[in-house]
This record gives sequence, structure tokens and C-alpha cells, in this order.
Amino acid sequence: MGPIAFVKTHWRLIMIVSFVGFALLALFYPGGIIAEQTIADEDAQIEQGPTNLEFGLGLEGGTRVAAPPVGMTADNLEIEPGTEHEVSSALIEYEYEDADIGTRDVQVRFDEDNNQHTAEIFSQDVTHAEFASALQDAGLDVTEDDIDDGVTQDTRDEIMETIELRINQGGLDGGMAYQEATVGGEYYIVTEVPGWDPEELREVLTARGDVRIDAFHPDGNGSHTNTTVLEGEDIADPGSASYDDQRGNHYVPVEVDSTEGPDGSNPADDYQQAMVDLGFTQNTGQCGIQDREAGTFNFDADGDHYCLVTVVNNETVDAHSMGNDLGQNMASGQWSTSPSFQMIVPDQQSAHELSVNLNSGALTAPLDFDREQTFSLEPALADQFKLYSLIIGGLSLLAVSGMIFLRYRNPKVAVPMILTASAEVLILLGFAALIRMPLDLSHVAGFIAVVGTGVDDLVIIADEVMDDGEVNSRRVFESRFRKAFWIIGAAAATTIIALSPLAVLSLGDLRGFAIITILGVLIGVLVTRPAYGDILQRLLTDK
Amino acid sequence: MGYFDVPEINYTRYSNRQLAAVPLAILAVALVVLSGSFLISGTPVPLGMDFAGGAELTIQTTSSEEEIQQAFDVEPDSIQSAQSPDAQNQYIVQFAGIEQDQIQGLTDQAEANLQQDGDASIIQQESTASPGFAEQSQQTALLGLAVAFLGMSVIAFVLFRTFVPSIAIVVSAFSDIVIPLAFMSIVGIQLSLGTVAALLMLIGYSVDSDILLNNHVLRREGDFYESSHRAMQTGITMTVTAMVAMLVMGISGYLFGIGLLASIGIILFVGLAADLMNTYLLNLSMLRWYKFHGVKR
Repeated sequence: MGPIAFVKTHWRLIMIVSFVGFALLALFYPGGIIAEQTIADEDAQIEQGPTNLEFGLGLEGGTRVAAPPVGMTADNLEIEPGTEHEVSSALIEYEYEDADIGTRDVQVRFDEDNNQHTAEIFSQDVTHAEFASALQDAGLDVTEDDIDDGVTQDTRDEIMETIELRINQGGLDGGMAYQEATVGGEYYIVTEVPGWDPEELREVLTARGDVRIDAFHPDGNGSHTNTTVLEGEDIADPGSASYDDQRGNHYVPVEVDSTEGPDGSNPADDYQQAMVDLGFTQNTGQCGIQDREAGTFNFDADGDHYCLVTVVNNETVDAHSMGNDLGQNMASGQWSTSPSFQMIVPDQQSAHELSVNLNSGALTAPLDFDREQTFSLEPALADQFKLYSLIIGGLSLLAVSGMIFLRYRNPKVAVPMILTASAEVLILLGFAALIRMPLDLSHVAGFIAVVGTGVDDLVIIADEVMDDGEVNSRRVFESRFRKAFWIIGAAAATTIIALSPLAVLSLGDLRGFAIITILGVLIGVLVTRPAYGDILQRLLTDK
Repeated sequence: MGYFDVPEINYTRYSNRQLAAVPLAILAVALVVLSGSFLISGTPVPLGMDFAGGAELTIQTTSSEEEIQQAFDVEPDSIQSAQSPDAQNQYIVQFAGIEQDQIQGLTDQAEANLQQDGDASIIQQESTASPGFAEQSQQTALLGLAVAFLGMSVIAFVLFRTFVPSIAIVVSAFSDIVIPLAFMSIVGIQLSLGTVAALLMLIGYSVDSDILLNNHVLRREGDFYESSHRAMQTGITMTVTAMVAMLVMGISGYLFGIGLLASIGIILFVGLAADLMNTYLLNLSMLRWYKFHGVKR
């Protein structure tokens, strides 16, 4: 028999053997067949188990929080290019009944994908009518009916990007943020972080990443006043948490944005001018309102103080004076040509926090935690689940094997049947390892369902092939096999149709179940179940 | 140990009406149960946390069940001690249909009012859904079921292209879903994401045996009883095998405290049992009518 003829007669067997081989390779080859693509994942390699399988929250432990962004949108606005700023000012200045809208609560942007302008307002306290009327004040033709709940895709993308930056800083990795659409057309932002508890995650998600510097200075009437001189978005290039050996303080190096805005000014110039106008450049080194040992601030301290107050998420983190060199530099107007300085904070923890907040930026829109869904699992319990689901899977396979033996009595029929069903699961596991699909309990249920449908089909093949006595020629076998395959194919098509809505719709856990089951049915029908027919024919005829 | 053999039933003794009466009566009872439950409680099947909003906490504590009952501002729907062999002092506490502000306080209340067991965290697992989110899930699940059922019906008609055999498949699949739903309503199993998955899976499994039967009777030579007997040999073997697998998964899932696997296993077991009856009484009688009376020769 020539090689071509060999392949022709044995192609089904060759296929299953190579699939199983490939699956074993994908499962056990150190590091996986496809190399890790993200740098963050490199650390994860070290703690990997004996296989390349990856586990999701339900088998690994961690927290998932899903919540929709707060906000409403008006799209298809006719805004003259370049006048976006005026529209947002109108939105901010409008007199809302219960809301106080600031710069960061509105967003007017040009949506390039759809070639239109959109305006958004991120507050629960504004009504559709108010939003429409505020837009009318800006000279736009908008009615209440044009306002939709929800935010734009651009905003959601920014939120997810910010969240991912936040959860993956601080040495942890594997956290991710994605969006899921509901049937009602609403979008939820889902954040998953292994190893975190819900409070930790919610804290990171609620913080809007608001960083600003207030100038605390005498108001001329014997007391002091705060003037905001720099906001997070004015900072172009924040560095990471650093330590100054000479002076013994923690800081984050930053560079202030010096690109000119539409009105010809730039944040670096503005900051420099404010420092000069408020008297900070003449009164360097004069700040005594912070007790660094106790970590407290006394804003009613006697005497004149000139303090730069660092505020993160509306909480005062540090208050320090302006350095001598920096003061001179600013007074001479030199500073704004290379506008960098150090934001000083009391300890490493807050330096780190500040850096995260500066780097990840503000969350474009807040999330609505009144409509959240959470799941969290302790890693210890997750380890138990991993073991138990392995046992449950094993027991189910054992039960199926027992039934098959009882039914067929002939090991020549039963043993290959059980081996084929197991091969199906093995190939699926290999596939999951290959594409790094994080496995959860729902996937385990899917594996067991695959064994179930797999054995169903194998029973159909066995009964069909052994129908009416001996299989004595290849032609008889092929014709019987084709008949069996019609039923199997039809059954597979219905299972896939029945489960495909789940694979697409966002029903949390169920997506994994549906995907595994559909994949399993496909692998079964295309690879393993035909091979079983071949094996059976060989065993029954080649005596 | 005895061997498992598929019994041969003497169908000739019963009329089509007699055969169809049993599954149709059971289907009717199931529908009555579901509508009765709908009238009394507003939903045909008790809705779990996934669809009604609420929380499910797995807590580890040395406090007694009574103390757990009192630890929360809202009274828990159920407190179940976890059965898994490695877990002592573990309880699964469920709250369904409560408001979001009540949900948010639960973990703090548990941590404040319960005794810690060694250095294990009190909250071992926490799963919450706000009423708003749950309502979305409910709509999504309904849509999923509807699309799946419709898709299955279309496939059935495409495969057989004749009315009676195709509608027989659709009717038995419908009954295969309704009977386990009524079972859930009676036994008090809550509708969760896991049970919805099981119901969808049932559509797939249920159609398997129906297609097999239709295929043997309609597309093969040989007389009706011979073909149907041969289909039963294969069909009952596969359904019973799947039932055993699901029962094992259901029971072991329950014992190990893995709710998702337990509910999928039990619902599929009940549904497959209903499928045995529907396929070999309802579908078979419809096919026999079609074969002997429906086709004009």
C-alpha cells in the first residue's frame, strides 16, 4: 500500500491521532505553543501548574464587578467644527435643578466612525429635558426625544482603558475590563481581577482619578483661601513613584502640558503666571500647615502660608511650599519652557497612588453601582472547586463507561467508545489551553455535556454499523456509516442552533458553557466520532 | 449485576390516542402547575438571585445557623450548610428579590456579626445582582430560550420537510422543557443561569432521539414496528446513558457544594426522563398516525 492510499484509507484515524497529539502538546508543552503576547503575563508563568490551562474567577478566585456607566447622550448634533468648547461651556453653565455640573461631567466630541458630533453629560441628577434645554441654549436644534440614556462607545473605551491601567498597576496582573451589551441595548462595563476582594475593586472603580493642585495662600483679609491652579488633565507626562535621597522625600515627577489651547494660552504658562500672581514665587519655603509625623493638616494655622496642596479624589494628600529654585525659575518666566516639577507626597504608598491616578487619568464617566452585579470567590474555595469539578467530571465519565459496558458487553465496542469520548474532552482541553481560554465552572458543565452528546453519537454509530449482523465489506460499512452520520449531523446542527444564542448573548457564566459545548460538538462530529466508526470497522472485520 | 437491555414494547396493543394520552395529560398537568404558580406568586417558576436580584454568600463561620439568621438586616431566604468534605462551618446564604441598598450592606453585616473560623475569611464567595441587572438577565434569558426553540423548530422542518413528523419533534421538545419547569416549580428549585443552560441543553438532547426515531421510520425500509424498535434500541440506550451521567453530575455537584453543576445535572435528568416518555409515546404515536393514515398512497 502506497503512502497516498494509506492516508486515504486511514485519514479518520490519522486525524484523531494528530488532534490528540496536538492537544497534549498544547496542554503540556512548557510555556504553551503560542507564546505569551503581553509583558504583564510573564510573571504569571512562574506560578503556573503542571498544564498550560488557565482558570477563570470561578476556579481561581477573585472578583468581578459589572456596572453600567452613568450618563446620557445626544448624537447627530450640528456643531461647527472648532466650536465644541462653546457647547460644553453652555452645558456647564446651565442652571440645573439638582445637579452641579463641572468640566469633567460633560463631553462634546466628534465621532469619527459615524461622522457626527455627540454631546454627553455624566450625571444622574440631570433630566433629559434639562440636557436638551442646555443644548438649545448652545444654539442647537435638540428636543427631549433626541436624548438617549447611556454613553458613547468612545467614552466606554476610555473607561475600560482607564480601569485596565488602574487594576494592572501595583504588580498585579491578569485583570481585565470589557463591555457587554444587554438585550435592551444598554452596555455594562465588566471588570475582572484575580485575587482581589470586592471592596478593593469597588474602591478602584469608584475613584474618578481626580488629581489637582490647590494653591493655599493668604486672601488679604487675615485668613487663607484655596485656588485650584493645576488639574490632572494639565499634566502631560506623569512619571512613576520616586524617592529623592538628598532631601528624603517621596515624589512623582511630572511635566505640565505646554501645548497651546484654542485661546492661545497653555497650562504651563497659566500655572507659572498663577504662581507669580498669587505670590508663591516671592514667598518660597513658607508652608507650615502639615504635620508630617501625624499626617494631619491645619488649614487654620496662624501666620501667612503659601502652600501647594495636592488633592487626590477630593482628599488632601500633601501640602508643601514652593522650592527656592523653582520659584526663581518661575519668576523669571524660564520655567514654562521646560515645565517639569516634582509632586511631593508624604510616603511611598501615596506616591504610588498618585502615580496610578495621574497615569490612568480620570474615569470619563462614573459607573452606576446601583445596578451592579458582583461575583467574588476566595482563592482557597476556588482550589476546592477545581479539585471537585475534576472529581465530578471523572465520576460522570465513569458512570457513562459503566452504562456502555452494561449495554454492549463487548469490550471491542465499549472500550474504543469510552476512549473516543475521552479523546474529545482531551482535544477540547488542548484547544482551551491553546487559545488561553480561562476555564470556569460553567466550562466544566460544558465538558460534561460534551461527553453526554458524544456518547449519544457513538451509540448511534455503533448500533448503525453493527446493524443486521456482520460488517464484511468496506462498502457496507461506508454506506451504514453515512446513514449514521446523517443523524449525527442533524443532531449536532440542532444542538449548535439551540446553544448559539447563549454564546452571543451576555448571560455571564453561560457563555463559557455554550462555547465549550458548541466546540465540543464540532470537534466530535468532524474529528472524533467518524474516527470511532473506523476503529469499530477494523475491530469487527479484520479478524 | 444485571445487564442493561432495552425492553421491547408491544405497541400494537394500544391505539394512537391511548399512547398520546399519557404524555399529553402530563404536559397539561405541568402547564396547570406553571400557570397556578404564576397566579399565586407572579412567576411560573421561583426566580433565583440571577433573575430576581439579590445575593448569595458562602460564609465560613463558627457561629450557629440561628446566629447567621439574625446577623443580617434582611432575613435570608435560605441557609444551607455546605456539604463538601473539606468544608466545615461553611454555609450558603441566599437572599432573592431584595433591593440594591440592602444587598450592599450584607457583607459588612456578615463580617461584623459572625465569628471568624480560624484565619479563614468570613465571606468565601459572594455573588450579587442588583434588581436592574437581574431584569436585564431575565429578558436576555427569555430571548435566548425563544431563539433557541425557534431555531430548533426551523431545523426540524428543514430536515424532514413534512408537517407531522416535524411538528412531532417540536411538540415533544416543548413538553421536554415544560415538564422540568413544572418540576422546578413543585420542588422549589430556583431558575438560575445554570438551570437555563440545562433547559437549552435539553432542546439539543431532546431532538437527538426524535431525529433518530423519525429517521428510522421515515427514511429506512422495513415495517413501522421493526424500524421503531430499532430506533428505540439505540435511542433509549443513549438517553438512559445521558441520564445516568447527569444524575451522577447532579448528585456529586450537590454533595460537593457546586450549585451550578448540581442544578444543570438534576434538571437535565428530569428533562431526559420526560424526553423518554415524549419520544416513545407522543412522537411515536404521531408518526404511526402519519405513516398509516397521513400519507396518501
